[in-house]
Amino acid sequence: MDIDWFQKIGNFGLTLLIVTVYGLFMGAFIERIIAKVQGRVGIPYTQPIINILQTLTRRTAISHGIMFYLGPVFRIAGGVGTLAFVPVIFGSETFSNFSGAGDLMLVIYFMFFGQLGMALGAGESGHPYAAIGIARGLSQMTAYEVPFALSVIAIVLQYDTLSITEIVAAQQGGWQHWTLFTNPIAVAAAMLAFLGMTGYSPFDIFLAPQEIPIGPPTEFHSAYLSLLQTNRALFGATKLVLFMNLFFGGATGWVELAIKTWAIYMVAIAVGVAFPRFRIDQSIRFFFKIPTLIGIASIVYVQMALVR
Amino acid sequence: MVAAVFHPLGIFIVALGTAFLTPLLFRKREGFASLIFMLALAAMATIAAAGFLALANGAPTIEIETAGIAPPFAINLRFGLYESFFVFAVNLAALLAAWHYLPRLRKHAATLLLFIIMVMGIDGMVMTRDLFNLFIFIEITSIATYTLIGFEREAGMLSAGFKYIIATSIASAFFLLGTIFVYYQTGTLNIDDIIAHQSAIGGPIGFVALLLLLTSLLIELKPYPANGWGLDVYETAPSAIASMISVGVSAGVIFALYKVQPLFGDFLTSIAVVGGITFLASNVIGLRQNNVKRLLGYSSIGQMGLMVLAMALLQQHGQHTHLALIVGGLFLNHLLAKAGLFWLAGVVQRDTVRGWAGVAGKPLLLLVLGVCLAALIGLPPFPGFWAKWGLVMELAVDNLYGWIALVLVGSLLEAAYLFRWFGHALRADDSEPVNVGVAPLLPPAAAAALLAVAGYFTARSAGVVPGQLLLPVYAAGALFLLDGLPGRLKSLAMLAVVAGGGFWVAGDLQGLNRIFALILVAGGLLMAVATLYRGDARKGFYPLLAALLLSLATLLTAHTSLEFFTSWELMTLSSYLLVTLGRDGVKPALSYLLFSLGSAFLILAGFAVAFAATGSIELAALGNAGDSVPLVFSLLALGFVIKAGAFGFHIWLPGAYTEADDDTTAILSAVMSKASIFGLVIVAGQLGVRADIGLEPAYVLGWIGMLTATFGALMAVFQEDFKRLLAYSSMGQLGYIVAGIALMSHLGWVAALYMTVNHFLYKGVLFLAAAGVIYRTNTRLMYQMGGLIKNMPVTFVAVMMAIIAMSGVPPLTGFGGKWLLFNAMMDKGWYWLAAVGFFSSAVAFLYMFRILQTVFLGQRKLAHKDLREAPLILLVPQVVMLVIILVLSAYPKLLLDPLSAAVAPYVPGALLWDGLALQSHLGYWNAPMIMIIVGGVWAIPLIFLLLVSLTIKIQPVKQFNIVYAAERPHRPEDTHYAYRFFAHYERAIGVLVKPHATAFWSAVSEWSHTLAASLRILYTGNGQTYVLFILVYFVALYFANTGTV
Repeated sequence: MDIDWFQKIGNFGLTLLIVTVYGLFMGAFIERIIAKVQGRVGIPYTQPIINILQTLTRRTAISHGIMFYLGPVFRIAGGVGTLAFVPVIFGSETFSNFSGAGDLMLVIYFMFFGQLGMALGAGESGHPYAAIGIARGLSQMTAYEVPFALSVIAIVLQYDTLSITEIVAAQQGGWQHWTLFTNPIAVAAAMLAFLGMTGYSPFDIFLAPQEIPIGPPTEFHSAYLSLLQTNRALFGATKLVLFMNLFFGGATGWVELAIKTWAIYMVAIAVGVAFPRFRIDQSIRFFFKIPTLIGIASIVYVQMALVR
Repeated sequence: MVAAVFHPLGIFIVALGTAFLTPLLFRKREGFASLIFMLALAAMATIAAAGFLALANGAPTIEIETAGIAPPFAINLRFGLYESFFVFAVNLAALLAAWHYLPRLRKHAATLLLFIIMVMGIDGMVMTRDLFNLFIFIEITSIATYTLIGFEREAGMLSAGFKYIIATSIASAFFLLGTIFVYYQTGTLNIDDIIAHQSAIGGPIGFVALLLLLTSLLIELKPYPANGWGLDVYETAPSAIASMISVGVSAGVIFALYKVQPLFGDFLTSIAVVGGITFLASNVIGLRQNNVKRLLGYSSIGQMGLMVLAMALLQQHGQHTHLALIVGGLFLNHLLAKAGLFWLAGVVQRDTVRGWAGVAGKPLLLLVLGVCLAALIGLPPFPGFWAKWGLVMELAVDNLYGWIALVLVGSLLEAAYLFRWFGHALRADDSEPVNVGVAPLLPPAAAAALLAVAGYFTARSAGVVPGQLLLPVYAAGALFLLDGLPGRLKSLAMLAVVAGGGFWVAGDLQGLNRIFALILVAGGLLMAVATLYRGDARKGFYPLLAALLLSLATLLTAHTSLEFFTSWELMTLSSYLLVTLGRDGVKPALSYLLFSLGSAFLILAGFAVAFAATGSIELAALGNAGDSVPLVFSLLALGFVIKAGAFGFHIWLPGAYTEADDDTTAILSAVMSKASIFGLVIVAGQLGVRADIGLEPAYVLGWIGMLTATFGALMAVFQEDFKRLLAYSSMGQLGYIVAGIALMSHLGWVAALYMTVNHFLYKGVLFLAAAGVIYRTNTRLMYQMGGLIKNMPVTFVAVMMAIIAMSGVPPLTGFGGKWLLFNAMMDKGWYWLAAVGFFSSAVAFLYMFRILQTVFLGQRKLAHKDLREAPLILLVPQVVMLVIILVLSAYPKLLLDPLSAAVAPYVPGALLWDGLALQSHLGYWNAPMIMIIVGGVWAIPLIFLLLVSLTIKIQPVKQFNIVYAAERPHRPEDTHYAYRFFAHYERAIGVLVKPHATAFWSAVSEWSHTLAASLRILYTGNGQTYVLFILVYFVALYFANTGTV
């Protein structure tokens, strides 16, 4: 192996830092936009970072057991690892991370890693609401996975590769080469799946924020929570980068990345502020209907129009 | 001198002499009379045996002339190889029957006398070559028989005996009339002479003559529907007499039919149809029968139908050379098994099958019962197995596929009712236990032992070398003798036998077979170590487990389809019996057995079609089947996927896996299920990858696999029972493997085999872990568990890692399987299957998490506070398998390269490596690097959290110390979220998992029973009706054959 590991690790550390900080700031930015929509002022831009520091410096913490302790570790390892397998900036050796270890399949399956670990940690807390939240979250995941998988198959077919770098490469040379324009049906299916993936309204019942404490993080606090908060920003940003790479031409620089990911995120936010929450069975059924049909259409489209 | 003593005429001399002497002796001393009676029967059997042995060793056929005049002017008897075999078999059965029934027989001189006359009559029917003399012997036998039926003077017996008299009298009258007409046309009564002058029999008279003879003999064999009188006899007659009617009188008649069959050249189709209808109808009606002896009656009549059918068809197609093995094997099998069963019924004295619950827990009785039943439905190593194999092969050669279907369907139905009965015998209920000493069991036990011996010799005459092939049987037999030892000692003995035998049989396999040997034999042995965790006696368990594991070893070494099928059926039988040992295993075991037999019959049919096309039973020759390839492939593949629990045919799987003993289930799922994968690979390797088969069957197979994966996962999601959940999970995971094989590409096969190895590893861990949890908690219901991570941390870690390895989440082995399969599917262009695969693997997460959450996490029950970790010996195999999982996760090349090399001879291709990264057309997968990165990104936050923990004190809290919204949790039972864990999912898509398959198969069962009910409407019990049926039967045969002569 002729990889210079130290160089690689250093580069990845830098990427990780940038993406995390960017994720935190964007989180605040989004919160402010939502607040504006609702006629509030909203939080300061630094609030997410303050929150993390605040939880990190709590003087007390409890533990329900070893899995509870390890849950947040798994969770953030899932976030960091997912980022590690995604090339962030196209054409940049520095920001390509460890994408040589595996392809799109690896990223898709590794995204479960953190969720599984987190679920186990929350489970050991013994809190029933955590288990309920996870049961709902997993169920929803199986549903949005269908349009997402169909859409991924469509673009893998279209670009004849599973390598994320090559998928981005195939979209270079102008906006008209983005998947968004070459295969809008697949993008539509994927973006609908994305709504479920981000867990904003109307698909946020498994987290049930604000009014009732339900969902995996219910019982976590203190340093655990700081890890989870960090990961929320990081993992969210990573998913955006992945979507940007697959469907929106990737990014050749950080500014392009910031603009594109923000725009992608805004889709979820715009839908979120406009629609009320689904019940969990409604949300499951939703993904099995129109988004799945669109996903099927995307493969048919690729087979008929793009592949010889 | 010796020849004179053992001259077959001695049989008649002894019989008649004893018959005359008996009344005299009986007046003197009853005991002495019965001693002489038994000695006479023994002498008759000995003479027949000596004759048979001499003839089998090449001695010339003995012709016995009477009155000093050569035939055709005087009656002659013939004692050739076939005659001696039948006479010996019948006399042996008679000897045992008399032994069984002696306490009653000895009460009257007349019964002793009649019994011996009946036997002599049968011998005469076999030996005589004179048509009129045959009539005499039939009459002698009939008169003796119906007197014996009625001598107990109970109303039922008398009425049945009376119906028997009427029916057989009509048959005899037909026979006599037929004989007269034949004599009129040919001028001779000598059978050989008649056959020689066959051309003289013609015109209306000749036609009617032959028809009368034929009808007579058929009626004696009790064809459906003119057989109500026979059933009444079987039901009511003393069991020894019923057994002699079933095996003795029928043997005489069937031999008589064989003798005169050359005359019936134009009627052979009719004879076969009569046999077929009788075989099928008897077995259908048997389904509804609850009276044991009547049940045996249906089975007897059915078996006779099968023999008639086989004899007619083989004769019709000039397959005389196979008659000995097929009809002889079927006859011997029926004789010993049915007689043994009738005697058992006489010993046990329970009328209904339910009443047989009283024999539960009686090892010798159950062994004898099991052996006889297994023999009767044609399982190895008994004679019926080899005979049925031969029959199906020869039918295929003559393109008689409809007949094959009939034989197999009938056999399946017969298995259904016979093993339903066996199931009742296994399951103790509140009925009064049967108390029998050993002595009354000796005759049936002797029949069972003779079945085994006969099986051995039939196997040899079928051209099989029964050394290694029957090793499972020998091993089981040897271990059964040790069954009195303490449990763990037996377990060690079993391990030693399996290790030694497995190495002997499968030690030097190569290529693909070697890989399967590692899973099936070495893996099976590893799992079998876990059986040490239970110290109780587990009667019968260890012999059966040894048989199962060794049959897997012999399966791998099979070169011919016969060897393969033998091992396959031994596997079916041993695994069925293992399932029955579970606490509530009997009922699901029956459906397991029926589906297994169904699948085995499809496999048998597939092999038969291949044999017909290639003329060879070599497995390697399967590919030469030419135009038959698609049919052969479809039959075999369907057989194998049913055994793998394919969607639609899966309904046997959850019950069998759930109700078997916990360690048995681990072996069934992790190890035995791979046998069907092996079969599929072998078949696909020989047939599927060829270009001329076309892709359609393979594509269908791919869909079967993926739908199985999806619905297996969906059904697993909604289970409350730990093992049932894992059972559905097994079904689903095997679906991926089937789909991988269906791809028929190098990458697809590597994926399939990789997943096979992986499934063995993680499902082994999971089922053994489940065994440990169930052992400690005494429940299988997951919502009754919870929080067990505190008590069973090792088990938890094992389950967690196994689940990660199953789920496909990197870095463990599961991801490799998903990656390989997805790439192979995309290469092939099976996008829709790939999409379904994505969905099913996502659904699988639901049940996987459910296991961890509801069993190990959440709130622990108060009662479970002091539970201990699972027994060490259960953990050992789990840890070994986890280590293998970890090694293969980090360095999959270790597994992938041998797999690639092993499948290359079948599906050419090679894996493309770039350093440690596996390359595909689409992507790449660098497992060691992934392992390192995941380890790194996991370790860094952990170190961080540990550092933080140093600065603050992290306080462990009690179970209920949780942030609960404005109330206090009440009890763990109320707070543990586990019951109907995915209720919302059920509400959303529960419509997908409505039990349509179960409903369908229930309906099939229902229809069969309805059919049975309507078929048996004819049995009114009225003697006049039965007579009418016999006459109508003659008329029907007349019209059916008008114009044939």
